[in-house]
Amino acid sequence: MTEKERGRDAHFRMVDGLLIALMVLPLVCCIVLKVLFTPESEGVDISGAMIYFTAPFPGQELIITESQVNSWAIILTLLGLCLYLTHGLTEKAETKRQLIAEWIVEKCEGLVNANMGERYAGYEYLIAAIMGLSALSSLSCLIGLFSPTGDVNVTAGWAILVFALVTYTKLQGGFLNYLKGFTEPIPLFTPMNFISEFSLPVSMAFRHYGNVMSGAVISALIGTALRGLSKMILGWIPVIGNIPLLQIGLPAILSIYFDVFSGLMQAYIFAMLTMLNVSGSFPQEAWEKRQEKKAIRKQRAALAKA
Amino acid sequence: MQSLSIISVNIWQILISFANLAILTWIIKKFLFKPVKKVLDSRRENIDSAYARADAAEAEAEEHRLNYAAAMAAAKQTTDQMISEAAREAERRGNEIENEARDRAQEIRRQAEADAQLEKKKAEEEMKREIADISAQLTGKLLEREVKPEDHRGLIDSFLQEL
Repeated sequence: MTEKERGRDAHFRMVDGLLIALMVLPLVCCIVLKVLFTPESEGVDISGAMIYFTAPFPGQELIITESQVNSWAIILTLLGLCLYLTHGLTEKAETKRQLIAEWIVEKCEGLVNANMGERYAGYEYLIAAIMGLSALSSLSCLIGLFSPTGDVNVTAGWAILVFALVTYTKLQGGFLNYLKGFTEPIPLFTPMNFISEFSLPVSMAFRHYGNVMSGAVISALIGTALRGLSKMILGWIPVIGNIPLLQIGLPAILSIYFDVFSGLMQAYIFAMLTMLNVSGSFPQEAWEKRQEKKAIRKQRAALAKA
Repeated sequence: MQSLSIISVNIWQILISFANLAILTWIIKKFLFKPVKKVLDSRRENIDSAYARADAAEAEAEEHRLNYAAAMAAAKQTTDQMISEAAREAERRGNEIENEARDRAQEIRRQAEADAQLEKKKAEEEMKREIADISAQLTGKLLEREVKPEDHRGLIDSFLQEL
């Protein structure tokens, strides 16, 4: 190995280290922040995210809570992860991380292609972002953080983005067609169509939020119950009695279901619903018909010009 | 520290979350998909070009093989032709030699026959002359007088002619 190569290698490793720090440090900061701010409490404590900061804003107060801070930390972590995975890409795919990166990209492409079709290829970024953000948000409770997905405001923001995309896709067919879509199959259905239209973001937001939050609530309840139980049974032993020994075990097993499985499941479901709703809002046949119409109109214009 | 109640809707928080997802989408596009797709595309291009090169090499090899086979066939034809020509030539030469030898033999025989004939004639002449001489002597002795051989030559000749 020449001096130059060694220098390059050292440089490569240094960048790697920085990227890993970028992945880990935001989460560590969040944990530190949480530890510093969490009040000592006894008994059942079921509440939303902790408020770190408030400021008066037009309309409603701006409140920065745990969920926002954790979301930013997770975004930074994902940014670090992306940079780490794509650091030192080569054509021959010599590193494991490159294989992982290619796997992620190809899987997202395949998923979007299978569920939405070729003409929505641009949605693969959004689907990857939803899955990554949602899964990491739900999993962040494993390291003791508050899951941002357990806050309805967070999932509502995502659902509104999806709703905006659905509406945007519908508007591709023309504004009048969009309005006409509400009166189908008969004009009598219009109010119901309106309700179903606007229930989409609400249902998506509450489905995700409810699943994660319910898991957190059950975990908190069981944890508290086990602490009480261990105090009742083992409380008479001098030193050991103060340690909630019964909390060992069962919460961990429940966490595998409520945090890991349910969290990943909800991420997948949210991504799936996004794909189905967007691609279903402007079906293939309607799109093809519209393309045909456009072509005919163009032809006519060309003929008129000639 | 205060907490939010378990359900509370705050428009700014929703907006922040909306922006977060949009930003993350951009991040993923820019920092994950673009570089990976670039690498995948360049790899596909490389593989395609490698296949094209392999095809070209194969075609070239096939062409070389055909050329070689054609050259071999031509060479074989030439050698065959050369061999058959040589064989024909050899046969022709052999026949020539044979004919020549036969001619020579016949000539020698003819010569020998002619020689023999000549010898025979000579001997005959000799014999005739002997006979004539002897008969002249005999006649001389018989007649007890000198007979001139010149006189009797004609006589004997005519006699011999009658033989």
